[in-house]
Amino acid sequence: MARVITITSGKGGVGKTTTTANLGTALAMHGQRVVVVDADIGLRNLDVVMGLENRIVYDLVDVVEGRCRLRQALIKDKRFPELFLLPAAQTRDKDAVSPDDMIALCNDLRREFDFVIVDSPAGIEGGFRNAIAGADEVLIVTTPEVSAVRDADRIVGLVEAFEKGHPRLILNRIRPHMVSRGDMMTTEDVVEILAIDLIGVVPDDEAIVTTTNRGEVAVMDRASKAGRAFSSIARRLLGEDVPMQVFTNDEGFFARLWESMGLRPKRAQR
Amino acid sequence: MSIWDTLLGRKPQNSSSVAKERLLTVLVHDRVKLTPDMMEAMREEIIAVISKYVDIADPDAIDVSLLHGESSDHLKADIPVRRSRS
Repeated sequence: MARVITITSGKGGVGKTTTTANLGTALAMHGQRVVVVDADIGLRNLDVVMGLENRIVYDLVDVVEGRCRLRQALIKDKRFPELFLLPAAQTRDKDAVSPDDMIALCNDLRREFDFVIVDSPAGIEGGFRNAIAGADEVLIVTTPEVSAVRDADRIVGLVEAFEKGHPRLILNRIRPHMVSRGDMMTTEDVVEILAIDLIGVVPDDEAIVTTTNRGEVAVMDRASKAGRAFSSIARRLLGEDVPMQVFTNDEGFFARLWESMGLRPKRAQR
Repeated sequence: MSIWDTLLGRKPQNSSSVAKERLLTVLVHDRVKLTPDMMEAMREEIIAVISKYVDIADPDAIDVSLLHGESSDHLKADIPVRRSRS
């Protein structure tokens, strides 16, 4: 049974596109047949994040408006056997597509793929509604910051109002050293506030910037903590029981110094 | 924080706990979806009902607010009542 999963957030810039690219790639690395769909019409980004921007010929709006067949718009990511991208249009806006169009599109994609991952635009209006229209499941991405969590809360309410089931949470860009100093909310804080199930925690990681610079995806980098966190989320989506990572503080210079002098520094717990 | 706060063991609240409290409070308002107009209308109606039974000291001193609680959120109305001896 194919699964259509929409990645949304409310707040912009919290990591929806990064999450879509990484989860899609991770699932493909696990042998799944995956299409990632950029539903951010007018502000497309999934193509550039995945390094496929030079291969776009047709896009989602061309398919919906009948200018091409679905197959012609799908871009195969040559790095993986079964990973495809359906890009958004750059020169149109979100009114070009309706929720019914998206439902029909997702149904067509279901026939060809195991997973359809839809990258939602920010906001709560038409673009968001289009992005969730065809979804079986919704994943909400937030960062542990006041405005992101507030917006995520609204999205939880809207997802449930649109009868898309219970959304699950991806907490992105957590900084363990700030958490242990009390300067960043903990995973438990955010889960308590939003009261939805957590599917994964992803640490802030420079590898996200550098891999995106190159048009690569962090899950391809074994050394990237964020990449490994996204891989774990993909495995949980596949039903594997992967324990939630606890991100301990990276030991700084002084921690190591005290340790070497036989003094015990205070250990971070998260 | 004064020396007394330090001696008595009062730690300054770290920013993440402030963030959490603020979020919990603002979300009570967001979720209840009471607009300021609705809050005002509700306040007037509360005053009208209570006035039927008790003498309200000063309608402007009435405070209606939304608070976050452990297991549920609370709508609190604080209504000063006139002291009378008769």
